[in-house]
Amino acid sequence: MQDYKFDEHCEQFPVAMAYVPWQRFNGIYEDLEKAYRIGTIFPELNKPFTGGRCVQ
Amino acid sequence: MNNKEQMLRDIGILCFTVVELSLYLDTHPNDRNAIEYFNHYNRIKTQMEREFSKNYYPLKLDYADSNQEWRWGAAPLPWEGVCG
Repeated sequence: MQDYKFDEHCEQFPVAMAYVPWQRFNGIYEDLEKAYRIGTIFPELNKPFTGGRCVQ
Repeated sequence: MNNKEQMLRDIGILCFTVVELSLYLDTHPNDRNAIEYFNHYNRIKTQMEREFSKNYYPLKLDYADSNQEWRWGAAPLPWEGVCG
């Protein structure tokens, strides 16, 4: 089984808790029409579902 | 797509962008960069809404003031299938 690299940065947090990294602002999509179709103006939040049959 | 529909679409996309930026600013109120982006797009959106309201019909009551005729009722009603 692969040994996932232990991230010492997380040591300060209690175990068994989920953590969401804080979003940083580094600009938005140039083409707003494309962003509108994608559903977000932030490239880092563009996470399309790519599994299974319902992918075009 | 004629000019009216194109403008409506552009206003819709700008509204979407402004809302996205406001959602980010809700959790990052001190982010100067994001504030500037918001001000920029919000100004463009308002300007387009005013222009649309002058040319076609007022999108919001705020833009209904007119020295010719009262156009607030001129907007197509939602069930008239215009806002496709």
